[in-house]
Amino acid sequence: MRGTGTHRSSDGVKPEERWRGVAVSEGSAVGRVLRIHSDARQQVYLAALEESEVEHEVDRFRAAMRLARRQLRGLKRRAELALGADHAYIFEAHLLMLQDRKLRDDVEGYVRRGRVNAEWAVKVVADHILAVYAEVKDVYLRERSADVEDVMQRILVALSGKDGHGARLLPDDAVIVAEELMPSVAAELDLSRVRAIASDAGGWTSHTAIIARGLGIPAVVGLRDMYRRARTGDEIAVDAFAGEVVLHPSPQTLEHYRASLARVAVPTNVSASVEDGVTADGEGRRETLYLADGDEVFLRANVELPAEYEGVRRYGARGIGLYRSEFLLTHRGAMPAENEQFTAYVKIAELAGVDGASVRMFDLGGDKTETEDAERNPALGLRAIRFCLRRENVMRAQVRAVLRAAAHGNLQLVLPMISDISEVRRARRVIDEEREQLTSEGHETGEVKIGAMIEVPSAVLVADKLAREVDFFSLGTNDLVQFTLAVDRGNDEVADWFRSLHPAVLRSIDMVMKAARAAAIPVVVCGEMAATPAYACVLVGLGVRDLSMTASAIPRMRRVIAGIDAERAGEVARECLECATADDVEELVRARLAMLWPHFFPPETLPVPIEVER
Amino acid sequence: MIINPLGLHARAAAQLVRTAGAYQSAVRIERADRSASADAKSILSVLMLAAARGTQLRVTAEGADEAAALSAVCALISSGFGEMTG
Repeated sequence: MRGTGTHRSSDGVKPEERWRGVAVSEGSAVGRVLRIHSDARQQVYLAALEESEVEHEVDRFRAAMRLARRQLRGLKRRAELALGADHAYIFEAHLLMLQDRKLRDDVEGYVRRGRVNAEWAVKVVADHILAVYAEVKDVYLRERSADVEDVMQRILVALSGKDGHGARLLPDDAVIVAEELMPSVAAELDLSRVRAIASDAGGWTSHTAIIARGLGIPAVVGLRDMYRRARTGDEIAVDAFAGEVVLHPSPQTLEHYRASLARVAVPTNVSASVEDGVTADGEGRRETLYLADGDEVFLRANVELPAEYEGVRRYGARGIGLYRSEFLLTHRGAMPAENEQFTAYVKIAELAGVDGASVRMFDLGGDKTETEDAERNPALGLRAIRFCLRRENVMRAQVRAVLRAAAHGNLQLVLPMISDISEVRRARRVIDEEREQLTSEGHETGEVKIGAMIEVPSAVLVADKLAREVDFFSLGTNDLVQFTLAVDRGNDEVADWFRSLHPAVLRSIDMVMKAARAAAIPVVVCGEMAATPAYACVLVGLGVRDLSMTASAIPRMRRVIAGIDAERAGEVARECLECATADDVEELVRARLAMLWPHFFPPETLPVPIEVER
Repeated sequence: MIINPLGLHARAAAQLVRTAGAYQSAVRIERADRSASADAKSILSVLMLAAARGTQLRVTAEGADEAAALSAVCALISSGFGEMTG
């Protein structure tokens, strides 16, 4: 969906252009476009060589291969640190290609026989390999041609004597715009200096998305033709909360973005961070946090990638409120062994410390694995707890690993997408059986509390019954909004219907909170609502005292929580529950928050509904 | 036979090449229908076999440590490249 606004841009020349995409990593930024070619084909020319030049050309090719291997080994190490070994494996395959005797022999043979330059020989040999791959029927194997192209590019760049996209080339205000950010290119960029990423292709699970989330860079993908329209140096604003990108933003738009940036900015330099609860030695405050009128509030971290581990301590999270265990699967869908999981969960428990970590059982199936036949409606299909109960051996391995790891730290287990209490009972039976089994095998196990993810309306409606069968609730607001309002948040045609502040959503949360209070079990809220200050105020008003979010959002949220009070937040929430429409709630929240806590929510910086031309 | 769901893909091929590369013997992999064969020490060559799930393969090794090479490569393939633990 692209709309051309009537505003003129701040440079007075180009009209503002807006795109809607899929937000894959939170945050917003204003900067200047840096276009990155995903397929930066070197222009390759044919040059005929004299007989005497041939051996020198072969030497030049070998030197380029050595240089390319050295660069790739460096990238592989960086990727392993940032993403974990599972995601870095692609560099291992690329490295083997650079060491491949067949590639080397074919290229050298072609240089000698044809008396041509190495560039041309590389291109001919690579094209021959690609032609063979193009014939392959299996979609997944055919996609490997992208790897061959990536490797070929690397050799050509090495032959040219340049070292590719150097980190030094990045200006301070770079917003990367690409058709797709290839893993090798992404790994070469100094991503710590990138303000945001916008790409034409890609989805929630693309490499770009995983990298962006892991490093906390705001990113919007699926923009279709943005790359073609943007020019390096153009002014651009990226809102990865709303999934919006604005090219040539008007002065009004810029002002809006800058104001909201000032509100959400988390200082990154150490001296400024101290007052935000990050101490100079990088260890955040884990101290208790209270609302202005006394109740204690827990701010925990959502964790998926190893790159996010550091933030748990740094930002002073009270443990890990949601560990998305799917990361343990390779992104090609292979199931991790029990021992591998055990090691990972022990590490997570250590990281979380006394406050503990909640491991969410694999939320798999539907669109998250590609190994099963495609379902027509994956969001409502065989996924999460349904998938685990069906593939019982997968569930048992995970349960065993969690029970064993719990002997070394404080761990809880969360059952995803519960829609019926029988699922809890079946899962509990499996857990009890495995605990007995482990004991008889002589393994040590620890106490593990069992929680239910509340994200399906049927679970909300029977929350009072459900509360008697689990030790805690974990409220996943993203899926709850999606299922309550029947809106696919990945579908930009219906993005306007995705309203976190819809009265139906707030009433659902209210019901869940009341059920949990009656049964005296805790509720932790994870999902985007928990990380957004204005929404968090409403949640606090509904009785929520336990929020889990991306670790980097914690310092900002800590300031807000310490400055608001349960009494007045409760009044706002009660008014919201009486509203008829999402528009009414949003209007009410805007007005009340700006009046009650103007220092957190100055009127001009509150989120305004995004105008989308239909 | 290739039993892991995604076939002989990049990661599996990388493991295969590393395994075969540890032996002195020449190791070759051939599709059972003889439509293609590959040097097991070359990842590009192995990927060109385009062996999807269910593909029958024949492995041969020739050299000083051929028996060990053969059993290591066959064990890797029949284990589903360690992806079948679920």
